[in-house]
Amino acid sequence: MTFFALQDVSVRFGGVVAVADISLELAPGEIRGLIGPNGAGKTSLINVVSGMVAPSAGRIVLDDRDIAGQPAHRIAALGVGRTFQNVEIFADQTVLANVMTGLHRHLPHGFWSSALMLPGARRGETAARREAGELLAAFGLAGYRDALAGAVPFGILKRVDLARALAARPRLLLLDEPTSGMSETEAAAAIATARALARDRGITLIVVEHNMRVIMALADRLTVLDQGLKIAEGTPEEVQNDPRVIDAYLGSAP
Amino acid sequence: MRGASDLRKLAAMATAVLAALAAPLLFGTYGAYLCNLVLVNVVIAVGLNLLTGNAGQISLCNSSFVAIGAYVCTWLFTQQGLSFWLALPAGGAVAAAFGCLLALPAMRLSGFYLALATLGFLEITEVVIEQFPDITGGIRGMLAARPTLFGVTLATDRALYYTILPIVAVLVVVARNLLACDTGRAFNAIRVSPLAAQTLGISPARTKLIAFALAAFYAGIAGGLGAAVVGFIDPAEFGAGAALREVTFIVVGGLGSVAGSVIGAIVLTLLPELLRGVQEYADLVYAGLLLGFLMLLPQGLVRLPETLRRGRAPASPAGEPAAP
Ligand SMILES: Nc1ncnc2c1ncn2[C@@H]1O[C@H](COP(=O)(O)OP(=O)(O)OP(=O)(O)O)[C@@H](O)[C@H]1O
Ligand SMILES: [Mg+2]
Repeated sequence: MTFFALQDVSVRFGGVVAVADISLELAPGEIRGLIGPNGAGKTSLINVVSGMVAPSAGRIVLDDRDIAGQPAHRIAALGVGRTFQNVEIFADQTVLANVMTGLHRHLPHGFWSSALMLPGARRGETAARREAGELLAAFGLAGYRDALAGAVPFGILKRVDLARALAARPRLLLLDEPTSGMSETEAAAAIATARALARDRGITLIVVEHNMRVIMALADRLTVLDQGLKIAEGTPEEVQNDPRVIDAYLGSAP
Repeated sequence: MRGASDLRKLAAMATAVLAALAAPLLFGTYGAYLCNLVLVNVVIAVGLNLLTGNAGQISLCNSSFVAIGAYVCTWLFTQQGLSFWLALPAGGAVAAAFGCLLALPAMRLSGFYLALATLGFLEITEVVIEQFPDITGGIRGMLAARPTLFGVTLATDRALYYTILPIVAVLVVVARNLLACDTGRAFNAIRVSPLAAQTLGISPARTKLIAFALAAFYAGIAGGLGAAVVGFIDPAEFGAGAALREVTFIVVGGLGSVAGSVIGAIVLTLLPELLRGVQEYADLVYAGLLLGFLMLLPQGLVRLPETLRRGRAPASPAGEPAAP
């Protein structure tokens, strides 16, 4: 049984091949680091998995089923969550409402119950507020609860984005540079929280991260992309010493 | 701080309820008639604001749904002998069904193209009204009738007002409830970031469908109520001018706010009456005031108290919260 795998997946934008014939497989509960220089195709890979772009070739397998090309909200409903490199926040809503939006698929009350604010809706909303509040507290965001998301600094929004993605209770969570805009200490704390929550809930993580120290400490295994190609894969130690990886990062490749 | 703002809200709510109860008693018969028109426009504005202010879907055919509700309700009531209180929701339901129909192109279009598509729907509705004079009375219009309650005809405007006020109140409260729950969050999510919304499992198509159906239902109910209030259906009332006027209700009142919808509908229904004194310049003054509102209060009249308060106190840096 395959939990999650890419099989020869390609993403093309006109002449640009952003992702070229990538295959990889993740074990349930694994934390996979995805690294590579700028323009390597990391975000494109996350976009294709989460359904934001359709693959030009290949299969994306989740629970033995090919989900390639399905609409993004359907893929999300199958348990695939993500965050965004440049945060996609609901700017005119409060931080709390942002995270509560993440609970969309997990509320016990429906349209009619909400319309009439029946006891079920009241209870459901109270529980949702509590769950979102706990996530905010876990990321040290309790003080921003009632702030408008649009008025909050970028580094804070990255954590809101994380909390919101976790609220959707994903099984596979794709994090696109979750710590950009954070200080070294903030980054370490946010990553520790995300890691603990992921381990606790059995969430499989794919993390794009530029900070080598952070990703080496976080990931079970690393996949390295360069110009759309997978150039290395393995444990942090193996990858660190791979000459192709060193080449790609130092730019001495032919 | 929290307690004070809660208290202020409570006071505002109590004032609104008292004002709604007292309004038709304060002015003469014509005043009571105007109060009924206000109620009708409040329903229109509240529904349209869910669609445009919250879900972010531009609609230039809301008056078509008002028309559908008006004709269906009146036809069932006056021609088919159905009780008005059954004909009214039936009109809303038929309008909502057409709202769902309109949501189909809206799933693929947005912004300018959606606006054009809704204008197309408006044109079609106008043509259909003209082409079926047996039911609609064509361009000559259609006679409506006053509803009865427990066998008594609601002949006076005051009696009608107090009968439909609870219906309007329920519709306003339902809109508030929906916005306080997941439906409202999904509406705001697809407006602000459809991408983020989808990654949380929110289907933009389904959400738009709900928003269009809701706005059309509210418009349809308003249509049935409006026909009863006026006693006559004039097809000229359902054109592009009316549709635009309905958009101005929510823009002037405050996009995305139920209170804003109510305020916008009240102010813009009564404004033309207040401008009767200036006779031939009324349209000009109305347009000028409209521009004034939009320039001075781009967030809508609903934000007026905040704007005034901020004007008095030194502005604080954009809502910076206390760090944890
Ligand atoms: N929507 C798009 N249209 C055209 N080209 C695109 C698009 N998205 C990405 N690309 C191109 O695909 C390549 C890979 O981009 P991608 O954003 O996936 O890289 P990345 O690894 O995330 O880089 P970074 O570290 O800068 O975030 C780049 O050459 C980029 O210009
Ligand atoms: Mg990227």
